[in-house]
Amino acid sequence: MELSESVQKGFQMLADPGSFDSNAFTLLLRAAFQSLLDAQADEAVLDHPDLKHIDPVVLKHCHAAAATYILEAGKHRADKSTLSTYLEDCKFDRERIELFCTEYQNNKNSLEILLGSIGRSLPHITDVSWRLEYQIKTSQLHKMYKPAYLVTLNVENTDSRSYPEISFSCSMEQLQVQY
Amino acid sequence: MLLDLSEEHKEHLAFLPQVDGAVVAEFGRIAVEFLRRGANPKVYEGAARKLGVSSEAVQHGVEGLTYLLAESARLMISELDFQDSVFVLGFSEELNRLLLQLYLDNRREIRTILGELAPSLPSYHSLEWRLDVQLASRSLRQQIKPAVTIKLHLNQNGDHNTKVLQTDPATLLHLVQQLEQALEEMKTNHCRRVVRNIK
Repeated sequence: MELSESVQKGFQMLADPGSFDSNAFTLLLRAAFQSLLDAQADEAVLDHPDLKHIDPVVLKHCHAAAATYILEAGKHRADKSTLSTYLEDCKFDRERIELFCTEYQNNKNSLEILLGSIGRSLPHITDVSWRLEYQIKTSQLHKMYKPAYLVTLNVENTDSRSYPEISFSCSMEQLQVQY
Repeated sequence: MLLDLSEEHKEHLAFLPQVDGAVVAEFGRIAVEFLRRGANPKVYEGAARKLGVSSEAVQHGVEGLTYLLAESARLMISELDFQDSVFVLGFSEELNRLLLQLYLDNRREIRTILGELAPSLPSYHSLEWRLDVQLASRSLRQQIKPAVTIKLHLNQNGDHNTKVLQTDPATLLHLVQQLEQALEEMKTNHCRRVVRNIK
């Protein structure tokens, strides 16, 4: 995992009990996870009375550092020992390392789901609806008497968040052969 | 149901008794070819020269015949009704028989061709599939994410269209289940009754 100096500096500040007492540390950590995982989260996530005494620039820096690290760790599926090693290097004490690892463990699944859902993929079929009709006549052909199926596939496009539908008609025989 | 032939149509068809049976049969062949592939004016000229008549007369004769066959096939009129409809033209017994034979021989094919003219949605042609497992992406390593990739071939108005889609195994099972239900519908009493009684 390659992490920038900025992340390292942010963590070093987080490690310092002078800048962040125990309570503030926990709050910031939780705020970082919340920003990433909660779809409803916004900037107000750092608006806690117990964080007011900290310089907002420092607060933002550390929040960004934590979020960046969490994403990198999630991406590489870091285990506890990898996390511990890095945090030790940043001068975290035992207690804070434990806290971080516990929070990470609690949020690991959601994080992986989030990361797994990012990316390009083909249009994804989500559902199918069908209609069975009995064709009697058309303007070109009378006395038809033929059953036919109209199948509609609901498709989701991950990029554009568009939901086109694909509809097509098919006969009974074709439907049977399909699978 | 009898065919209703317009005056103009009857005029065009009036050309047919003027030529002998073999020629009418040939016109019939041209008429069906016309329906299959579209008109070919050069054919008219060749025939006109051989028969010593204007190419316009040949064209009208063939077009009249085409329309007669197409309308009869469209409405799926019975043998008897066809004979009665043609009777009003006052042709000879032999010509009437020839026309009837022409109708019966080509009816199925003409109906198939007409069937392709209906307003249509894309129709299913075929399907190819492939099972993939995603192992990693830029945003997440060490994944095991199975996916079924499907290439759906569709036809619309003669154009071939392909769509490449993907789904996961759980959704695939759901799709299969839904489509099986769709097929089951045909076997229900309701559908069987409809199919039996509407003919």
